[in-house]
Amino acid sequence: MVKPRTFGYFFESAGKSLLRNSWMTLASISTVAVSLLVLGIFLVVAANINAVAANVEGQLQVTAHLATLSAAERGRLEAEIKAIPGVTDVRFVPQSEAWQRLLEWYGDNQDFLAGWEEENPLRDSFEIRADVSHRVPEVAAAVTVLAGVEEVLWGREIVEQLLAITRMMRLVGIGLMVALALAALFIIANTIRMAIFARRREIGIMRYIGATNWFIRWPFVIEGLVLGLLGGMMAASVLAWGYYLAVRALVQAIPFWPWVQPWPFLQQLALLLLSIGVVIGILGSGLSLRRYLDA
Amino acid sequence: MLELSNVTKAYPNGSVALNQVNMSVERGEFVFVVGASGAGKTTLTKLLLREEKPTSGKITINGKNIAKLRPHEVPYLRRSMGVVFQDFRLMPTWTVEENVAFAMVVVETAPRLIRRRVAEVLELVGLTNKHAQLPSQLSGGEQQRVALARAIVNKPMLLLADEPTGNLDPETSWGIVKLLLDINSTGTTMLMVTHAKQIVDTLRKRVVELESGCLTRDERCGIYHG
Repeated sequence: MVKPRTFGYFFESAGKSLLRNSWMTLASISTVAVSLLVLGIFLVVAANINAVAANVEGQLQVTAHLATLSAAERGRLEAEIKAIPGVTDVRFVPQSEAWQRLLEWYGDNQDFLAGWEEENPLRDSFEIRADVSHRVPEVAAAVTVLAGVEEVLWGREIVEQLLAITRMMRLVGIGLMVALALAALFIIANTIRMAIFARRREIGIMRYIGATNWFIRWPFVIEGLVLGLLGGMMAASVLAWGYYLAVRALVQAIPFWPWVQPWPFLQQLALLLLSIGVVIGILGSGLSLRRYLDA
Repeated sequence: MLELSNVTKAYPNGSVALNQVNMSVERGEFVFVVGASGAGKTTLTKLLLREEKPTSGKITINGKNIAKLRPHEVPYLRRSMGVVFQDFRLMPTWTVEENVAFAMVVVETAPRLIRRRVAEVLELVGLTNKHAQLPSQLSGGEQQRVALARAIVNKPMLLLADEPTGNLDPETSWGIVKLLLDINSTGTTMLMVTHAKQIVDTLRKRVVELESGCLTRDERCGIYHG
C-alpha cells in the first residue's frame, strides 16, 4: 500500500510536471477547452430546439364543439372529460368568447363578419389539453364518443406531422450530440497520448529505478485530472458567459420565443462539461500509459 | 549472489543472443563483461533487469529465480540493484537532487532521510555544488556521476553498469571508474559491461567474455583480449 505522504509526492510531482512542460500543458488544456466548448455550444442549441419542440407540443389541444346543453349537462360533461386518462386541463369557451376570438383573428379585415354578431353561428366548446403531446389522438378519440359532443377538432394531420418533426429533431440532436461527444473524446484522449508519448523515456527510466506501475501512473492521472478540470472550466466559463449575454439580447429581440433560461440550465451544463473533462482526463492518461507500463 | 545456469535467450526472429551461459558471481566481486558488439552483453543486462525473460535456464539473484517473478514483483527486483547506462538516463526536466532522490522516493523513504542521504551521495560523487542544476547544464562526466549517485543512493547489493564510460573521454572515464571502485570497496557487487580496453587491462579484475552468445572466457585477473 502506498503511504499517505507518497500521495503528497504524487501531487507535487504532477504540479511540477505541468509547469515544466508548460507548452504541452497549455496545448492540452486548450484542446480540452475547445472540444468541450464545441460540444457545449451544440448542447445549448439542442436544448433550445428541444424547448421549442416542447413548447409547440404543449400548445396542442383538442377542441370539442358542443350541442346546446344546460348548465348541469355541461357540468357533467366537463367532469366526464376530466376523467379521461391523460387530460390535464379542460376549459369552457362560450360561443360569445369564440366570436370575440374570431374578430381578433381577422383584425382589420373583419368587415365580412358584419351582421353575423346577432345570430352568432359559433358553438360553445371545451378546449382540452393532454399531459403529453402524443396522447392527444387518444384523448380526442375518447372525447368524440361522449354524449353532448357534436364535433371534435384536433388537427389530426398537423398534430401528426408536428409530432413527427419534433421527434426527428430530437433524434438528429441526440445523434449529433453523441458524434460530437465522441469526437471531443477522441481529440482529448489523443492529445494526452501525445503528451505521454513525449515523456516515454521518463517512464522507462522510472521503471528501471524500480517504480511500480501505480507509482508511475498516479502523477500522470493527477495531471490528466487537472488538465481536464481546467479545460472544462474554461469551456464552461466561456459558454456560460456567452449564453447569458446571448439570451439577454435575444429575449429583447424575440420576446415570445421560448429561450431556455440560463438558470439552472447553465449550472447543469457547466457540471456536465467539467465531469466530461475530468473523466476523459483521468481515463485518457490512465489508459495511454498502459502501453508503456506493460511487462 | 548472482548465478546463471544454462541460460539461453532466443528471440522470436530465431537469433540466439545467449547460448547455455553459466556463470556465478560472489558478493563483493568486481566483474568486467567484455565482447564484441552483438556478442550478447546487452541481452545479459536485459535479462538481469528482467526486461526480458530467458528462453531456458535459471537466473538467481540472492537465491531468487528472477525468471519466475510475476510482473508486479519486477520493480522490487530492480530496487535491489543499481543501474548505470551509457546514455545516463536522467530525467531531463528534474534537477540533480531530484534525479537522485527519486530512487528513494520510489521506495517511500521519509523525506528527512532522503535529504540527508542525497546530500551524502552527492558529496561522494563530487556534485554537492551542482545539486540544483538540470542535467542539460552538466558535462557528460557529471551526468554519469548523477546517474551513479542515483544508482547507489539506496545502497544496493549489486550495481549493473552497462558501458558507463562509453560516452566519456578517457580522463573522465577514469573518474567514473574510480568511483565504481570506491563503491565496490564498500561491499557492493559490481558487474560492468565495457569496451574500454585500457580500463580492463589496468585494473586486472575478473573478466568474462561473451562471443556470439557463448561464454568463452572467465579469468580471475583478466585483460581485455585473452
